[in-house]
Amino acid sequence: MKKNKGMIIGFLAPAVLIFLAVFLYPIVRTVIMSFFKISSVTDSVDLWKFVGIENYQKLFATDIFRTSMMNIGKIWLLGGIIVMTVSLLFAVILTSGIRGKKIFRAIIYLPNIVSAVALATMWLQYVYSPKFGLLKNVLDKLGLHELAKTQWTAPDHVFWALLFAYCFGMIGYHMLIWMSGIERISPDFYEAATLDGANKINQFRYMTLPLLKGVFKTNITMWSVSTAGFFVWSQLFSSVTANKATIVPVQYMYSQIFGAGNAVTERNAGYGAAIGIILCICVVLIFTICNALVKDDDLEF
Amino acid sequence: MAKEKKIVKDKINWKKELKLAPGYIIILLWVAFTLMLLGWILAASLSTTMDIFAGKALKFPTGLHFENYAKAWGSGGVATFFMNSLLYSVISCTLLILICAPAAYVLARFTFIGNKIIQTGFVSAMGVPITMIVLPLFCLVANMGILNNVVASKATLIFLYIGINIPYTTIFLLTFFANLSRTYEEAAAIDGCPPVKTFWKIMFLMAQSGIVTVTIFNFINIWNEYFLSLIFANSDELRPVAVGLYGMLQSMQYTGNWAGMFAAVVIVFLPTFILYIFLSEKIIGGVTGGIKG
Repeated sequence: MKKNKGMIIGFLAPAVLIFLAVFLYPIVRTVIMSFFKISSVTDSVDLWKFVGIENYQKLFATDIFRTSMMNIGKIWLLGGIIVMTVSLLFAVILTSGIRGKKIFRAIIYLPNIVSAVALATMWLQYVYSPKFGLLKNVLDKLGLHELAKTQWTAPDHVFWALLFAYCFGMIGYHMLIWMSGIERISPDFYEAATLDGANKINQFRYMTLPLLKGVFKTNITMWSVSTAGFFVWSQLFSSVTANKATIVPVQYMYSQIFGAGNAVTERNAGYGAAIGIILCICVVLIFTICNALVKDDDLEF
Repeated sequence: MAKEKKIVKDKINWKKELKLAPGYIIILLWVAFTLMLLGWILAASLSTTMDIFAGKALKFPTGLHFENYAKAWGSGGVATFFMNSLLYSVISCTLLILICAPAAYVLARFTFIGNKIIQTGFVSAMGVPITMIVLPLFCLVANMGILNNVVASKATLIFLYIGINIPYTTIFLLTFFANLSRTYEEAAAIDGCPPVKTFWKIMFLMAQSGIVTVTIFNFINIWNEYFLSLIFANSDELRPVAVGLYGMLQSMQYTGNWAGMFAAVVIVFLPTFILYIFLSEKIIGGVTGGIKG
């Protein structure tokens, strides 16, 4: 093994060094920053002023930050329910032996490879357009002319407009994760169950779902990680720099640090760092709760 | 637009198909909507702003307007963003493989102190929100005083794209190397081939299919990357497509050139879309390959 020492170090060094520079060092510094008052993000350390947990306290006392946390919470919960249900439904349909499975699967996953800016533009400028929008045309065709006049991106509706557009793009990815789980369940199970007289719905309820526990955990984790970084969609859906209906923590942080937005009351990079920490803690919490609630399946399949 | 995929291939078991009918309907509606969305954008990008507002984007009353693309590409500035994105993606993807493949190989094959820690670190990093790392990085880069130097700024962006994709790339390739048989290395060792040479001459080539898959993902990720680019690319000269497109959207709304805007949208998603048309099976296989269910 001694012979390989040089090789191990040489092969690992570039990846590990960059990792330390781009992840470990910034994470540690962000944690420290969150306890200081820092008037500009580029200030050197001797200009920092220690304030303890004051940054966190002040953040949670700020209306617009609380709103942004509420919004991201709603996106996580409501969007999560929509995405998980619809993607599971699609996964079940696609694995039930229908024709053209591969083409359908490819088209449903397609939005995931399109740039979020491009996708959000399609929704904003086409689907929700009050003049030539898809939604307006469809509702008009159905005779629902009053409903067709709705301004989907007006403050009253913009949150839901945002949520549906975002969910549309996420379903393909989660569907693939469900499908990989379903396809790993042996067909023998279903054969045996059918012979024993269990119908499709019971098979789903008592066999598929319990066997998908581990996959469910993966799905929730992935969903939480992507929700924590939620930003592009809010930026595109808000006409002013900080729209109360769609503001999310990352957007608030961005306007705090880099923007001259209307959300900024007091410049303090410590707030930005604290927001990063809060989001990270949320992800870790969800992950821990999931792990505690859903034990890794000890079933062999 | 809806795909009527009811071509009779082999004998159809009508009873079975009928049971599946609700499933077909749901999936077909969804697929039709997706295709309608993309199809309409494509049609609008070849139409004129007036036709779009008249609701005739799909009818092309004034013919096909390819000049929308020429305008968006040239005076719209998409050319610069496009070339930037191409440069960033290609260089980052290449370097990522050269950096991560050896690291993944060593982590998969050798037992040494710290192996487990590095792996855990990489896996955890995949769940870290970008907001956790962006402030110190910005501070570091700003204090280096290179934000006005175009070449240095581009190099910085490439370094960051590489950095944030290292954990994913390494872990993906690690599982791939772990599944390769050791017999090749043993045979090479008996023939007196040094391990470093064995890696580059044999194992690296054997991992090619994994390398291709992970590179497609890295390419799509870097092509579509938004947040870092927004913060670190502070002039049009540096901006990649995602951020450039956002800027264009803001100004297009004032100039009122909707057809041009849709043309820009199409140009931005075309590269990843074409990649997807040819490699969708590989991409779909890779999505779940990287995740332990």
